[in-house]
Amino acid sequence: MLKPKYVIVGASLLFAGCYDGATMADGATDGGTGAEAGSGDPTEGGESGGEDPPAEANLVPQSVSRRLSQAELDNTLRDLMGDDTRPARGFLSEDEFAPYDNDYGLQVASRALIESMEVLAIDVANRLVQDPTRRDLVVPCTPTTDDDAACFDDFVRSFGRLALRRPLTDEEVGAYSVFLPFATEDVPGLDNDFYTAVALAVSAFVQDPEFLYRIEAGVPTTEPGVFKLNDYEIATRVAFLLWGTGPDDALIADAEAGRLSDLTDRTDIIDRLLIDDRAKEQLHRYHAMWLGYRAIPHEAALIEAFNAETTALIDRVVFDDRDNYSALFTAEETYIDAFLAEHYGLDAPAAGEDWVSYGPDRAGILSHGSVLAGFSKFTDTSPTQRGIFIAERLRCNEIPAPPPTVDADNPPGNADDPNACKEDRYGIHAEIASCAACHNLMDPIGMGLENYDIAGRYRETDDGKPDCEISGEGALPGVGSFSGPGALADRLVESGELERCATEQYLQFALGRDLEDDDPLLEHVAADFEATDYDFQQMISNLASHDAFGFRREPSN
Amino acid sequence: MSHRMDRRTFLRGAAGVSVALPVLECMLDNHGVALANTGDVPCRYAIVFAGQALGGDNWEKNGQRVGGKYFEEDGHFIRPAATGADYELTTPLMPVADLRDDFSVVSNMAIPWNASSVDGSAVPAGGAFRDFHGGGASPLLSGTRSNTYNFASNGITSDQVLAQNNPGSLYDSLVLRAQPSWYLGGSSYSGRQYLSYTGAGAPVEAQTSPQTAFMTLFGNFTPDNAEDAARLDFELRGRRSVLDLVTSKRQAILGKVGNADRIRLERHFDELRELELRISGIDPDVAACQVPDDPGSDPSIGGDNAGQGSSDIDTNTGYSGEDERARTMVDLIHMAFVCDLTRVATLQISVFQSHMNVYQVSSDLGMPIRADLHEVGHNGDQETNGQLPVSTMLGWHIDIWGDLVRKLRDTPEGDGNVLDNSAIVFMTEAGHGLQLNDGVSPNATHSVEEMVQLVAGRSGGLQPGRHIDAGGAHPAQNLISCMQAVGHDGDTLGEVSGRIDALFEA
Repeated sequence: MLKPKYVIVGASLLFAGCYDGATMADGATDGGTGAEAGSGDPTEGGESGGEDPPAEANLVPQSVSRRLSQAELDNTLRDLMGDDTRPARGFLSEDEFAPYDNDYGLQVASRALIESMEVLAIDVANRLVQDPTRRDLVVPCTPTTDDDAACFDDFVRSFGRLALRRPLTDEEVGAYSVFLPFATEDVPGLDNDFYTAVALAVSAFVQDPEFLYRIEAGVPTTEPGVFKLNDYEIATRVAFLLWGTGPDDALIADAEAGRLSDLTDRTDIIDRLLIDDRAKEQLHRYHAMWLGYRAIPHEAALIEAFNAETTALIDRVVFDDRDNYSALFTAEETYIDAFLAEHYGLDAPAAGEDWVSYGPDRAGILSHGSVLAGFSKFTDTSPTQRGIFIAERLRCNEIPAPPPTVDADNPPGNADDPNACKEDRYGIHAEIASCAACHNLMDPIGMGLENYDIAGRYRETDDGKPDCEISGEGALPGVGSFSGPGALADRLVESGELERCATEQYLQFALGRDLEDDDPLLEHVAADFEATDYDFQQMISNLASHDAFGFRREPSN
Repeated sequence: MSHRMDRRTFLRGAAGVSVALPVLECMLDNHGVALANTGDVPCRYAIVFAGQALGGDNWEKNGQRVGGKYFEEDGHFIRPAATGADYELTTPLMPVADLRDDFSVVSNMAIPWNASSVDGSAVPAGGAFRDFHGGGASPLLSGTRSNTYNFASNGITSDQVLAQNNPGSLYDSLVLRAQPSWYLGGSSYSGRQYLSYTGAGAPVEAQTSPQTAFMTLFGNFTPDNAEDAARLDFELRGRRSVLDLVTSKRQAILGKVGNADRIRLERHFDELRELELRISGIDPDVAACQVPDDPGSDPSIGGDNAGQGSSDIDTNTGYSGEDERARTMVDLIHMAFVCDLTRVATLQISVFQSHMNVYQVSSDLGMPIRADLHEVGHNGDQETNGQLPVSTMLGWHIDIWGDLVRKLRDTPEGDGNVLDNSAIVFMTEAGHGLQLNDGVSPNATHSVEEMVQLVAGRSGGLQPGRHIDAGGAHPAQNLISCMQAVGHDGDTLGEVSGRIDALFEA
């Protein structure tokens, strides 16, 4: 099976020394991509003079121009031209999820990418102009002739403003007029017209690096390496962070009015963005990547039901109740319908779907079939993999890869022995000293969840082995024992690590890379999160509305 | 020929300098006859890759459990019992029985590893790091030792070596992958999706869409019909005009961004420029060159692999029509070779450590296996495990490779056929022998021992039709042999030297 995620250079290696294996702490990066972020020249930011840096310049993170992830590209095309076919999913090579889909260190331009983007651009452009409804939404005028230059310019100006997330200069608008002759050229058998030129322009915008990347230049500040972003660049940052898509017309208008660089105005703008459904969708997507349920091994109907349950809880905690974020893990109710109630063995809600009480043992998102479906192995739950999941994603403790001599692709113990029970087989890890040092950090966590199968159903015995009773006794190392997801959530909250790790994970997603020299920012956001009584929405809002969010730091290595 | 791009022009555009092309030795066919009136017969080289091992974990060769029954049966391990021409075909080779005179089985190859140390610094030259899966990838692909468990090549791969000196009229190489998704929700490819590298840590991203590959390869062919040709010309001018506008922004954008971005975006603009140069009508002057059927929309991409954690894996999740995708890609490689659009190709049917759901493919072959490809090698499903299911899936991969070989054989060229001027390799991720990880378990899929590759074609004097015991040769030596067969004048790949002479001896 898979190795746990690679060790991060410069990140805390809390458990790197749990066994004497060689080479594990060598700062191995993601296998095989060869992509290194931040290969810039440190002298770049050395220019002095210019704008004032933010008061807390140490909170400005390193950043480069990030390419839209597939999901972001699909969202942007949807919002830009009403195309909901998710073309990037079909045309582009699958993003790496590390565990987020936006790690810019893994984004390397290639012939395959460029060719696929051309095919994608032509496809979306042609389908757009063939659909009069969608077409008329992006072309703000009715052409009087096929070579109506004024109307074409109007279209380029309005579409380009949204596509490139800034107004175009007259000169830039004029450059697109090279496509207008294609509208009137006499080609036998070809029914070309005004919209032929529109399609070429759309294709050009979609292939434009200014569209495909969120290019951030900024202007130098007096702080070496720190650049002040302009209003459009800030608007784009805010939109992609909160919505996972480009700025809408109103947000660009805000940028035009200089409202993004005004911190009070920016806060108001962020409030507007956060009540949009796209803010919810973005956090649904984030949580699915963070907690590993973005794709799970179940039938479509069950996945849909799980998804409704989990997104309802996220919406309730983060948006509706603005509850302490730990409620995501400790909530005593869950939102289900009769189908899911029967699946879990819970009482069906009186209404078609509603919040119902869990009863003992279960609580929060860790009881959801969505989350319990992830990190399984050998056609069953894996106490080890679940332990890695809790340790790495909820406590932010890196678990090193197993030593090379271990073949982790075969189950522990004798899986073929018809009498062998799973707890005994995994118990071998604890009996062998060289295994125990690391496995004691993972297996006890998973053992406490063993009563819950990969579909989130409660079970008393091993699958297919009625004589193998599951004790379900587990422990969160260094915190205390537990049995079941409800008690695990309590231990996680008691540990005091959960909220801080949630902050760290969100920052990794927000920055599009692993955290490196970001301790000041992490400390700041974590303290802010605490100060808001762990109001996740407020934490996000405060991050995006912070002065430092309007700056970038040139990579120094 | 009118719109055909001169390949030297293309190279100048790509690299900014003129590259002198060495004359490669495909001027003579295997009959010793000077070929084709032009005197310039291209040599083709392809690797078709299967992300699986040759046997079932912990199973003796030829041992298996199928439908819950244990049994032994001869002839299911890929390696035939006899060497030479009169060997008996094994189960995975059955799909290519009709091709047996056109390929050789090269068996008994191994990647060296250090039996006394698992330290990354103790790996021998051309050797594997003691951690499968990743530790075997670099030596397999590039003959260069691996120092970590990461999936990465530490050197240029054989196909890219050839690509540098043997470009076709459109591409220096064609890099395709049939499996379009990793399928596991909690993790990511992390390098398992790369087969071709231009150098250490420099992978070539594969095209995974058959539709896009078709359009980029054959979309520019000039139709015979004048009206169609005029329309294509209109379309090509439009595309060039679009790219011209986009690339004209190069200086404005690169001039305002920081150094890190300049490097990232320069690469993007370079690729855009190369694409612009490729957009040109193509009219190859090759009688057998025909535009393949338009494959249409790609099969939809399946969701997460239901085999990772579910015992009822029989849906279409974890599968994206790889069979159809791979066979379309074979059609494209075939015609790209015939039309001389490229002379080098790689096709990764399944990725390293592939978690593709095999239920549909195996069912179609009469042996339903409720597992993903990775588990087929290790634990199978509960009822079906061992050599026969592994051979079934191996046979599926080999059948796709056979499709390519067959199509090349059936396409005339000069006095013979295209296969006469080709070397087409079938390669698997693993062998089946001593486990690389612990160094002691026998009959392991995590093994770089007892590796087998298939070589089809007669380019450069290859003598197919036999089972060759390579006597423990490094698998890179098989690649070196095939590289030489298509005209490469070197004798090394990475840290490995020397070819397997028997491939050239009758």
